[in-house]
Amino acid sequence: MAQQGDETRRNGLAIALLLPIVLVNVGVFLYPVLNLLSTSFKEALPGGGIGTEFTWANWSTLVQDRFYMEALLRSVLMSLLITFLTLLCSYPIALYLHRSSGQWRTFLLVLVVSPLLTSAVVRTYGWVAVLADTGLIKNGLEQIGITLPFRLVYNMTGVVIGLTEILMPYMILALLAGFGRLDPRCEEAALTLGARPIQAFWRVVLPLTAPGIALGCLLCFVLAVSSFITPRILGGGRVFLLATEIYDQAIVTLNWPAAGTLSILVLVVFGLSLILYTRALRAFD
Amino acid sequence: MAPTRHPAKPLNMTLAEADMRHGTGQEEPAAGGFLSLQGLGKRYQGFTAVHHLYLDVPRGELVALLGPSGCGKTTTLRMIAGLTPVSGGRVLVGGRDMTSEPPYRRDMGLVFQSYALFPHMTVERNVAFGLEMRRIGRAEVAERVKEAVAMVRLQGLEKRRPRELSGGQQQRVALARALVIQPSILLFDEPLSNLDAKLRDEMRTEIRDIQQRLGITAVFVTHDQAEALAMCDKVAVMNAGRLEQLGTPTELYERPANPFVASFVGRINRLPAMAMGTKAKVGERELRLTQPMEGNIEVMVRPHRIQLEPAGSAATESTNRVQGEIRRTTYVGDLIQYVVHVDGLNWSVEQPTSASATLSPIGAKVDLSWRVEDTLAFKSAG
Amino acid sequence: MEERKPSWLLKVTVTVLFVFLLVPVLVIVPLSFSGENTLRFPPDSWSFRWYGELWSNDRMWGAFRTSLVIGAVVTVLTILIALPAAYVIVRLKVRGSELLYNLFTAPLLLPTIVIGLAILIIFASVGLLGTRLGIALGHLVLTLPYALRILATALNALAVTVEEAAASLGAKPLTVFRRITLPLIAPGLVSAGALSFLVSFDEVVVTLFLAGPEATTLPVEMFRHLESRSDPLIAAISVLLISLTLAVVLIVHRSIGFSTSFTR
Repeated sequence: MAQQGDETRRNGLAIALLLPIVLVNVGVFLYPVLNLLSTSFKEALPGGGIGTEFTWANWSTLVQDRFYMEALLRSVLMSLLITFLTLLCSYPIALYLHRSSGQWRTFLLVLVVSPLLTSAVVRTYGWVAVLADTGLIKNGLEQIGITLPFRLVYNMTGVVIGLTEILMPYMILALLAGFGRLDPRCEEAALTLGARPIQAFWRVVLPLTAPGIALGCLLCFVLAVSSFITPRILGGGRVFLLATEIYDQAIVTLNWPAAGTLSILVLVVFGLSLILYTRALRAFD
Repeated sequence: MAPTRHPAKPLNMTLAEADMRHGTGQEEPAAGGFLSLQGLGKRYQGFTAVHHLYLDVPRGELVALLGPSGCGKTTTLRMIAGLTPVSGGRVLVGGRDMTSEPPYRRDMGLVFQSYALFPHMTVERNVAFGLEMRRIGRAEVAERVKEAVAMVRLQGLEKRRPRELSGGQQQRVALARALVIQPSILLFDEPLSNLDAKLRDEMRTEIRDIQQRLGITAVFVTHDQAEALAMCDKVAVMNAGRLEQLGTPTELYERPANPFVASFVGRINRLPAMAMGTKAKVGERELRLTQPMEGNIEVMVRPHRIQLEPAGSAATESTNRVQGEIRRTTYVGDLIQYVVHVDGLNWSVEQPTSASATLSPIGAKVDLSWRVEDTLAFKSAG
Repeated sequence: MEERKPSWLLKVTVTVLFVFLLVPVLVIVPLSFSGENTLRFPPDSWSFRWYGELWSNDRMWGAFRTSLVIGAVVTVLTILIALPAAYVIVRLKVRGSELLYNLFTAPLLLPTIVIGLAILIIFASVGLLGTRLGIALGHLVLTLPYALRILATALNALAVTVEEAAASLGAKPLTVFRRITLPLIAPGLVSAGALSFLVSFDEVVVTLFLAGPEATTLPVEMFRHLESRSDPLIAAISVLLISLTLAVVLIVHRSIGFSTSFTR
């Protein structure tokens, strides 16, 4: 009997302590997200209103509108390209960090993490200053007599460059976690067995760090697909992507059902990439 | 590049042929060692890990690098393998200077302490790796892998991943992987330290068997003196980056070159004394030495070379003798360990047990006697 | 023991890549001292004029104050809400702890743009849109998962036996928590608090959906400014923001060490 009373008291305490977080989570996250999903099947009324009748109208508009389909395709392709470039730029840094040690390693690690602690707006502005027609690169090249015939920013080029840099810290940290599971002796064993460094890399290091690569790629792809601050500014309003369209529909056009529908599309892309990731992980094993 | 990588060794040789070739002892270099370390040194910032190390390992011998942790033995092994760059000196194999060769052109097999098996490959792929790096044909790879797997008795486990194997089995895979490439030299970095005691004994014999059967020149790093004495032709005792003594197990045990070797290889009792010729004075008593010495010395005796006798027994010409008082006795089955108080020092004495043996009581006054030949003496430091 | 020297090729590549990684932050500092009317780098003339502009820009200062207030409130609320939750999940081990943990950290898995939109639609109907309270609630959704994760890790790392030892010595549950548990997870509390503040202070996407003329934060104002202009005013604000972040990081570093706080 006493034990049962104890149990009840314990549960009561647990519920009391969990109540605040449950309120926030359900009230400001779970219910809004479920509501958003249902919004996608409601009629849009002028001025941000939402109808009550069930309708497929938003989805049929979406599928028939070439503009949205192109934005979807552009978002996915751009994110794939950015993921690839991020991997390419991050792997050497992660490899170098993995091989260095002591204070030097800590210092470099701080350099890698510090951009994460800087607002995306600030870093995006930094890229404007680097890529603009009067910015670091074009201005610098003109000083030595070279004039680039194309713009580096306010187009897709700027978005790709900026997002690649902004996503690098995530990729580097994911790769480092992968390297952490790599026993350096394995690489040495390969060398003593006659593998040249490049062979040891392809046959031993790369396969063993593949899970880290997969995680980093998933993370960067997902963040690239849903990013919108950087594309908005570095794209100069001329690069149309899923995320920027959601913002436009929600804030400018005030068509919330359409925005909700596009959000679901983003979530579907998320889900598919997650499935692909788990498939890849299983293939490595 | 391929033809010069593995000189004097046809790639299609089977392990049996390798066996015969090693036996003939052809082209022995003048230096005396098939593997020869000449003044090998390693300095890190502010500290020297290995000092000018000279060591010759004759063809077909198994030599142990023995020493406490941090003595530089693993660093030495890694310098031989080319995994750690040397700060000075040379590594010669069969008279050929390997010092600046990268590890993948040294043709040495290394068995790591952690085994360092490739976790993403099966046993078979692990063993085949070195052969594939040598661009050997598929059929021959399969043949030689099969042979190597059989040699370490792992048949039937070829398709397993390393994590599906026990520690002992992983150890065998590591051995097979290093052996299958028919290395000119086989290196072991504390390979048995992760195994439990019983398995360790088993693997000792097995490694020694295979090494002798193939006649491979091998270096074996260990901090376990029993392992070094039991397995190896010669033992190099290292301390603080220096070679203290190189000798056969008997030489090290019976005639250690200095107090460090005497106390590191086997256990020993110490007693300060004053030497005058072949006599040494301990308080009022005189001990006989095997060779003449002068001044302050330390006399050392192994615990199991000492006889316990009732106090006041008659001395003989061929024995040394001191007096003590029994402080503690421990019965451990095959022997009895005594702690005996001798001139303010605690000595340990071991006596074999027999059915009729009785424990000497604590507090009993006894004489400790041992043969003169078993008396080791070293100049006191300082 | 490790000393495989990286090849010069890797070193050069890594240097170039580090420059790439850091250049956007590095150009901002000199740019904030530009004397030009528009963005030009390197500037032809130098001055403090953009700091002056910032000083007299009431909108930016107002947004900055709002950001600070919201950041502080969110930090306090986050700790007050996440600490009991972490304690229940790790220590009391009620049925479904795992499920609860996954639910509470789920906001990290969804894109912020979707969360922002979802909250916008709900808040529009209850009148929280464009209020500081609305923004703070939106931030809580994002900071709670981080804080919960850090505090749960800290509690997990703390051996139950220490708490049991205190209890066996006669300490009541609340005393055990106050005298033993709390001091031992202090580093976790500090990093959870610091991270919550930084996340709230830097948040743009969700805030952009929830902000209004009455309540707006500094990053949102910067974003809106950047949508139309790219003058060095933003550089001056950025320097201010970076300094503030640096201050927070240094305080955390002083109290518990950088590597244990941000790099796990």
